[in-house]
Amino acid sequence: MSKYLVYPELVFKDRRLLLAALADLGYAEVEEGEALPLYGYQGDRRSETAELVVRRRYLGSASNDLGFARSSGGFVPIISEYDQRVLHGGHLLAQLRTAYSERVVEAVTRRLHGTARRSVEGSLVKITVRF
Amino acid sequence: MPEIEFTIDPETGALELHVKGIAGPACDDVAKLAKELLGEPGQERQTAEYYLRPRVRPQLRPRGGQ
Repeated sequence: MSKYLVYPELVFKDRRLLLAALADLGYAEVEEGEALPLYGYQGDRRSETAELVVRRRYLGSASNDLGFARSSGGFVPIISEYDQRVLHGGHLLAQLRTAYSERVVEAVTRRLHGTARRSVEGSLVKITVRF
Repeated sequence: MPEIEFTIDPETGALELHVKGIAGPACDDVAKLAKELLGEPGQERQTAEYYLRPRVRPQLRPRGGQ
């Protein structure tokens, strides 16, 4: 054993992996730009802006735009309370974090020229990468 | 053989990773790669193995030879 890192609040540090994780959840259409405006479900412009945006037409009829604003630590989700409660049964962010984590494991495995072995222990997914 | 054990909690999306089998600060390179993709961890700790010094075996060469 040599090092132990814990990510209770995963930030979406890598843009490419975040886009891949969004695509995994069915959101392949993502608008990219600087300080893009976000719109609410009635087409009203909201005060927040974001660098990555899933437009509401791809989310649901009563949804608002889902944004990700760039910060020094990574991309921070901007999501309405309604969408957080409704999308993916209220588990959108947890599922996005899970998809992102899986993409991180893939990327690390590739970079280290390693091999991955996956197992499920109770409710946890364990992936061991040997290199 | 060095390995990284990733543990993902699908309920929350929380991720833990454990670097094993690398003695000394060499595992910082792996941690650096993880931080590049995941950002700064909420918690980081060195385990006993981290403080082991890698063993270097001296090599002797005969004089005058290659």
